[in-house]
Amino acid sequence: MPEGGRTTRIPLVERVLEANDQVAAVNRAELERRGIFSVDLIGAPGSGKTALLESTLRALKGHRRPAVLVGDLATRRDGDRLARWCDQVVQISTGQGCHLEANQVRDALGQIDLDAVDLLFIENVGNLICPVGFDLGQAAKVGLFSLTEGDDKAAKHPYLVEAADLLLLNKIDLLPHLSFDRSSFEADVRLLNPRVPILDVSATTGQGLDAWITWLDR
Amino acid sequence: MLGVHEFSIAEALAAQVQRHAPAAGRVREVEISVGALRGLEPEALRMSWEAVTHGTAIAGSILNVDLRPWSIACSTCGRTWTSPVPFVACACGDPAPVPTAGDELNLVSLTIDEEEA
Repeated sequence: MPEGGRTTRIPLVERVLEANDQVAAVNRAELERRGIFSVDLIGAPGSGKTALLESTLRALKGHRRPAVLVGDLATRRDGDRLARWCDQVVQISTGQGCHLEANQVRDALGQIDLDAVDLLFIENVGNLICPVGFDLGQAAKVGLFSLTEGDDKAAKHPYLVEAADLLLLNKIDLLPHLSFDRSSFEADVRLLNPRVPILDVSATTGQGLDAWITWLDR
Repeated sequence: MLGVHEFSIAEALAAQVQRHAPAAGRVREVEISVGALRGLEPEALRMSWEAVTHGTAIAGSILNVDLRPWSIACSTCGRTWTSPVPFVACACGDPAPVPTAGDELNLVSLTIDEEEA
C-alpha cells in the first residue's frame, strides 16, 4: 500500500466474456429472426470437420440452402474444399487465435446473402477446449470426436461433452481396425451428459449421415 | 507454461479490468472465480496475466483465481464430495460416481491502492 493511501476492494460480479456474449446475442437474434438454424462444429485437428461438412453439403444439395463459415489459423484450404459444394463459404483467418469469437462471426455474416440461407455451419478452429467457452450465437453446438483420437477424448474434454447439443463420432468405418472401445467412450459421455445424442458417422463412406441430416432437419 | 487456452481469457479480463479501474489509484489485486468445467489452469492464467498486462497501467497486479472444483456424487452409497478431476472412483467401490461442475468465469473484485487526495 502506498504511504498515506488506502486500499479499497471493489466487489463486482461480471462475466469475463461479457463483451463476446453480447455480440453473440446479437448474432443469435439475427439468425433466429431469419429462421436460419446454426451449428457451431467443434472438433480436434484431423477429426474430420471439413470432410464431414463436404459430405453433408453434398447430401443437402437441392434440399437445404446452407452457408459455411470456416475458421482456420492460416490457410484457405478448408474454405476452398467446401466452396466446391456450397456457394456461400466465408473463410475466417484467425491468425494466432485458437478459436472463433462472436465478432468474427458477425463480420463473416455480413459477407453472406442471408436471404438465400436456411442453415449455417460454423466450422470452428480445430481445438476441443477454447471454442467451447466462446458463444458465437449459434443455435446448437455439435462436438465431433473421431475413432483415431482414442476412446478417452470425451473424458479429457468434459466441457465440450457437457455443452454439446449433439455428439458425432466420426470415422466409425475404422472400428474393426482400431482398439477404440465404443462402450467406454459412451460411458464417459453419459457420466457428463446423460441426454446428449451420439451419432456414429463416417464422412468418407457416408455411414450414419442420414441420421445427422435428419437431426439438422428437425 | 504459457497456456494458449488461458491467454485469450487473460486478454479479455485485462480489457475488462482496465475499464473498471478507477483513474486515481493502482490495481493491486484482481479476483476471478472459475468453474472446473472451463478446464483452465490457475498457474497458466497467472502467467498469461503477467504477459498481457506487461507494460500496461495494470502491470504488476496479482491475479487471484478461485477455482471451483468438481462435485462428485456417488449413487451407490450417497456420498458427495469435491474433486479437482471429474473421473474418480468412490471409496465404496463404485467405479463411476457422477461428476458435475459449473462453467462460471467471473470477475469478482478489484483491490485498489488509492492515492492520497
